[in-house]
Amino acid sequence: MAEDVDAWGQLLAAANAGDARAYARFLQSVTPVLRGIVRAKGGGLGEAGCEDVLQEVLLAVHLKRHTWDQGAPVRPWLYAITRYKVVDAFRARGRKIDVPIEDFAEVLAAEAGPDPTEAADMAKMIGMLDGRSAEIVRKIGLEGVSVAETGQALTMSEGAVRVALHRALKTLAILRERHVK
Amino acid sequence: MKTDDLIRALAADTQRGPDLRMMLLAGLLPALGLAAVAVWSVLGFRVDLGAAMLTPVSAARILLTGILGIAASRLALLLARPEGGHTARLWPLAAVAAAALGLLAWAYQTTPDEARQMATVGKTMTTCLVAIPLLSILPVGMLHYTLRQGAVTAPLRAGFVAGLAGSGLSAAIYALHCTEDSPLFYVTWYGLAIAGVTLVSTMIGARSLRW
Repeated sequence: MAEDVDAWGQLLAAANAGDARAYARFLQSVTPVLRGIVRAKGGGLGEAGCEDVLQEVLLAVHLKRHTWDQGAPVRPWLYAITRYKVVDAFRARGRKIDVPIEDFAEVLAAEAGPDPTEAADMAKMIGMLDGRSAEIVRKIGLEGVSVAETGQALTMSEGAVRVALHRALKTLAILRERHVK
Repeated sequence: MKTDDLIRALAADTQRGPDLRMMLLAGLLPALGLAAVAVWSVLGFRVDLGAAMLTPVSAARILLTGILGIAASRLALLLARPEGGHTARLWPLAAVAAAALGLLAWAYQTTPDEARQMATVGKTMTTCLVAIPLLSILPVGMLHYTLRQGAVTAPLRAGFVAGLAGSGLSAAIYALHCTEDSPLFYVTWYGLAIAGVTLVSTMIGARSLRW
């Protein structure tokens, strides 16, 4: 476990220095752990419901990654965001839960299963974006098209695609909040 | 949407948010500079500013409010991080408040009975109670703006320290003008002005710093 956590710090630091592959690996390696936490806390939501919450958490981690202090350990930072968003998500679904941070240690020991699920909420939110933003998110996310190719397909520069993608993700988080409240 | 697909979209987004420390400095320093210019041009600095800075009881005013402002600003930066709710310790603020109250008690003891009321009420109470909140608006606003770019998980506390930070620093700037040197005056009225701003900031923060 400790090695994993060190690796998270290294991956996130590399990601912050501009290494997109390290960032993807960071997200991939924290996802099962976060999924385990969400499931342990929100069993009643069902698998797809938990996956919705997990995606919310990942989006929050992504948009707030500049708040990680490079010198600080990743875990407390990551869990604090997770806790905040999980509580928020469950409250929004009409369930009050208490998520003591200490609990997370036990959850981590239990290995989470493989990624089985399709979550519905995010797709709905993407549908609420303007046409071009939605297309960019779908191309890059669902179809796995690179930023450069997306730019060519939409006759946009690579930089413009990146800006639009970033805006789209921020908008998704805002839509999410409104939708949920 | 599958989570792996979301991760792919997230990983393709290379734009990061701002460095919060730099952002706060870039917002707060000009705001405080503007406050100083406003005090200087509208109210004027006190004529004997140099001498007053060398008088401990008078300098204590700037020192206490300044230390309060800086300590609270540092706490605000801590609370802008998600884990700040667990790591931020508010006791330095209580220490400043305790020092101010100690000074108040000392002044009460050493001021003759018949002079106490005059020293407390002073001549510029209204100016003080109006100027400090007005001067606080921009600095507190900058602190809130920075906190919103962060990931606050304790919105009430973040609003609270933002209020103390902005109003403390503003009070220190107002002190460049104010000639009321008795702690009976300044602990009371500066304190009240700071408390008022902090209350409003806390209430706003509790709502607006959620995300």
